[in-house]
Amino acid sequence: MIALLALGLAVSLSGAVGILRMPDVYLRIQCSSKTVTLGAMPVLLALVVAKGPVTSYGGRALIVAALLLVMNPVATHALARAAYSVGIPMWPGAVVDQAAATASGAEPPPGDAGSGRAAATGGAGADGTTEDRGR
Amino acid sequence: MIAAIGVACLVEILIAGLLLVRVGLGPTVCDRIVALNTLSTQVTLAVLLFAAFADRSIYLDVAIWLASFSYLATIVWSRYLERGLL
Repeated sequence: MIALLALGLAVSLSGAVGILRMPDVYLRIQCSSKTVTLGAMPVLLALVVAKGPVTSYGGRALIVAALLLVMNPVATHALARAAYSVGIPMWPGAVVDQAAATASGAEPPPGDAGSGRAAATGGAGADGTTEDRGR
Repeated sequence: MIAAIGVACLVEILIAGLLLVRVGLGPTVCDRIVALNTLSTQVTLAVLLFAAFADRSIYLDVAIWLASFSYLATIVWSRYLERGLL
């Protein structure tokens, strides 16, 4: 249990230092998701091991672990997509931008079908009106 | 074992302080949102560990609330940044 706790805290601490020191939004998003997956899960597992899985502590730690595992990739992906579409520049040392070809072309396909207004505001945002929103 | 849980809670609070620095000086809004997202996860863990440390099971509901609703803020912010007020 001490080993699980130490592993989770070490990964969380390194993720926090990475969020402080990384030069770019996208690299910081990577550090954030690593922190949740490998930093929070061992701590919750340590709590389950220490208290037992059917006690109130262990059971709620398992619920929190399931919630984090489901919600964190969704939130991280949405945030990365928003950061890219707002136009936050990458770190100058980045070597490849594979989404540049699709983003500079036509409209990005909206997730919900038949929402012309969402596509219209997205088109207006691509012209640079969303530039000052990200600052 | 209780001492280890208390120390872990203190380390989580230290991590939350480190992330608050990034919330303060992040150059763009997305930096702040990333730091806040991670901060909510670490605060959830800190509340869980403190509940186990102080042996108060009423604090566990705070942790479940934080884990359930903190991601709503990230999703709503990213949707606003991407599509505007809609």
